[in-house]
Amino acid sequence: MLYLSQTLNSRVEDNANARIGRLKDILVEIKPGAYSPLAFLLVRNKKGDDLFIPFDYCENLSPHLVSLKASFEKITLATPSNNCIYLNRDVLDQQIVDVDGARVVRVNDISLGIFENKMCVLGVDVSFKGILRRLGFEWVDVFGWAKVHLIDWRKTQSVKGVLKLDTISKDLTKLHPADLANIVEDLNFHYGTKLVNTLGSKEAAKVLEEINPHLQKILIKHLGPEKATRIIEKMSVDEIADLMQLFSQREAQKYLSLLQEAKSKKVEKLIRYEDDSAGGLMNSDFITAKPEWTAVEAIEEIRLHSPNMRSIMFIYVTDETGKLLGPISLRNLLLAKDDQKLSTLYKSADKLAVLKPHYSLEKIVNIMTKYDLFSAAVINGGGRIVGIVTIDDVMRCLAPKA
Amino acid sequence: MKIFERIKNYRWFIKLSFILAVIGPGIIAANADNDAGGITTYSIAGAHFGTKMLWVLFLITFSLAVTQEMGVRIGIVTRQGLGGVIRENFGLRWTAFAMLLMLVANIGTITAEFAGVAAAFSIFGWSKYLVVPLSALAVWFILFKGSFKTTQKVFLLFSFFYIVYIINGFVIGPDFGAALKSLVTPTIEWTTPFLVTMIALIGTTITPWGQFFIQSYVVDKGLDIKHYRTERWEVFIGAFITDIVSFFIIISTAATLYKHGIRISDAKDAAIALQPLAGHLAQLLFAFGLFVASMLGAFILPAATAYAICEAFGWENGFDTTWKNGKIFYGIILACIAVPALIVLLPRISLIKIMILSQDVNGILLPFILLFVMKIINDKRIMGEYTNKLLGNVIAWLTIVGILTATACLIVASFMGLN
Repeated sequence: MLYLSQTLNSRVEDNANARIGRLKDILVEIKPGAYSPLAFLLVRNKKGDDLFIPFDYCENLSPHLVSLKASFEKITLATPSNNCIYLNRDVLDQQIVDVDGARVVRVNDISLGIFENKMCVLGVDVSFKGILRRLGFEWVDVFGWAKVHLIDWRKTQSVKGVLKLDTISKDLTKLHPADLANIVEDLNFHYGTKLVNTLGSKEAAKVLEEINPHLQKILIKHLGPEKATRIIEKMSVDEIADLMQLFSQREAQKYLSLLQEAKSKKVEKLIRYEDDSAGGLMNSDFITAKPEWTAVEAIEEIRLHSPNMRSIMFIYVTDETGKLLGPISLRNLLLAKDDQKLSTLYKSADKLAVLKPHYSLEKIVNIMTKYDLFSAAVINGGGRIVGIVTIDDVMRCLAPKA
Repeated sequence: MKIFERIKNYRWFIKLSFILAVIGPGIIAANADNDAGGITTYSIAGAHFGTKMLWVLFLITFSLAVTQEMGVRIGIVTRQGLGGVIRENFGLRWTAFAMLLMLVANIGTITAEFAGVAAAFSIFGWSKYLVVPLSALAVWFILFKGSFKTTQKVFLLFSFFYIVYIINGFVIGPDFGAALKSLVTPTIEWTTPFLVTMIALIGTTITPWGQFFIQSYVVDKGLDIKHYRTERWEVFIGAFITDIVSFFIIISTAATLYKHGIRISDAKDAAIALQPLAGHLAQLLFAFGLFVASMLGAFILPAATAYAICEAFGWENGFDTTWKNGKIFYGIILACIAVPALIVLLPRISLIKIMILSQDVNGILLPFILLFVMKIINDKRIMGEYTNKLLGNVIAWLTIVGILTATACLIVASFMGLN
């Protein structure tokens, strides 16, 4: 197995064994989901000039010696395209995302090998063994305890150098937002920001919601008002409210003024509640319906609002003043006859557990556990529904580090 | 509530909150310099050599300010700890070298902290075999069960105790004129004890771990380049405050111990310097100060060391990782507590000597860490437009050369037996 570290600083000779210089770097073109074939050798000659030699000229790449197929005069030097990354500069010793493991690792070495008749990057070594190899201390490991741990190149995402949509691994964007958030937290801030920047606003919003508040604040400030607003707009109202509370009033006002008016109104309403109370935890992603509607009409209403909501478990029946009559679960709605009136379907709110905005976290947990609720409605003094608290909001408060 | 909301929108409040947001790194890092090793070294410098070493203190105040400012700047620009920056720009071998230096220096410093704890309690006749294991356990417990941030704040608050030295200095009313003159009059004795103390004095003021600490503090706080100007002043003020305290420790000991020819061989002797202010409570006061300062270092340093090493080598770190994933992280912390505690527990070892010699180790290793810092800060690819200006470079290079020369002199002096 050949490692990048073994080839760096090797002598580079042409086919007449004339010395050209030393190998300083190897360039590859990044294609997501593929082993990248080597594209150029970066060779530094005696005068200190950097030459980019296309890898097609390479006869043999081995530790200590790189030999070329042609004589140096016949080689056409080239300028690499912008899509190239430098293995030594951008990958070796840098942080890289292990997409399968959904974590950030540091590259101790890079393994090279033949794949489909081409010399390619096969994997990155993140093991202790890799460290020992590069320090020349492999002999220390007499019992062979240290194992090489290679991560498949196709399952990695480099973050230094080019990072454009077409070089982002598809598997990375498929990761759960919470995993992506952990990755952003672990990356150097510059690359974390870069990664968030390459995501679409909607994706970025989901990721941002999962990031720890301290970093959230720094990220938002760093992204600049324009990009930040586009992302904030896609976040759910309760998350925006939490986020705004991290900022001074003046700054929060600035961001809120950039949002659509309806949304910023809702956020402002939420901000007035204490963080760890039902009012602070709740979001306004809920659907209300009138008692005289039929089941079909209610389902149509859900279809209409669904794209803007994170999750829907209940539909809330209210009277004409907005007072909560009771919830209907999606299940009951599906089981109901098409023309069945909602008034016959809902469970009366009087008999059910509902929350008040001032309820403490402990009280919410007790109620939700006791009645086995995935989400619970929050009503104000007049009995109007003002929001819902879902189980994931509660869990986040209970296990803030996850 | 309403009033507070309104205050929040005033211009001066915004300015003030901006300053408050930045405050911390410089003053905290500088203040943490006055740890067990620091107080002992300054006390000995004053007790054994009077005000002869004040000029060194004067010069290294500038060195401290400049080196800490460079750490801040690297942190702001790279958004990464020093370990990570070294790894990404110098490769693995140099990283391993730098990390080894830091580890040795830090273990030395932690040893000094535990020696400080032992020395503080020795004043009351408590055995080190009791207090050192107990405090090691306490450090371990705080790190794993307690809140790192709260504890850090509590100890920092206590460590402002050193202000008593300033008051004490005025109570003694030493010859300030002479002291100020010594600040600018270089005097040197070509003897091993003098050079040992001098290098310790440098090594306790500007430390390898301080360089790592301030940079990661800036990174954790997420400071931006727009905070830089304010932050730079905070660092300068921090350096000034630390060395003001050091100045008063030296003149206090010089005016009490040196004057009467008392040499410091244990903590009780050093406590005498506080007698003019505290009378018979001097020992209590000194013991308390030494204890909190030691504990502060003893629990910042193991975690800081583990963070830096894990960052450089890419190992999982942080107290929210599981034991299984964070084996190395927790392992380093454990070793950084256990090894120093065991060294202090060696029978018949001189606590004062540990404290001084560990600072020498720091001083001797410091130039090598500073060389990395210098290389980074002058690299346009890393720092962009924020590379060093001429004055910063001159002061930093003089510091490096100065320490290397002092070390060379020490080696020569000790070989020639100049005692």
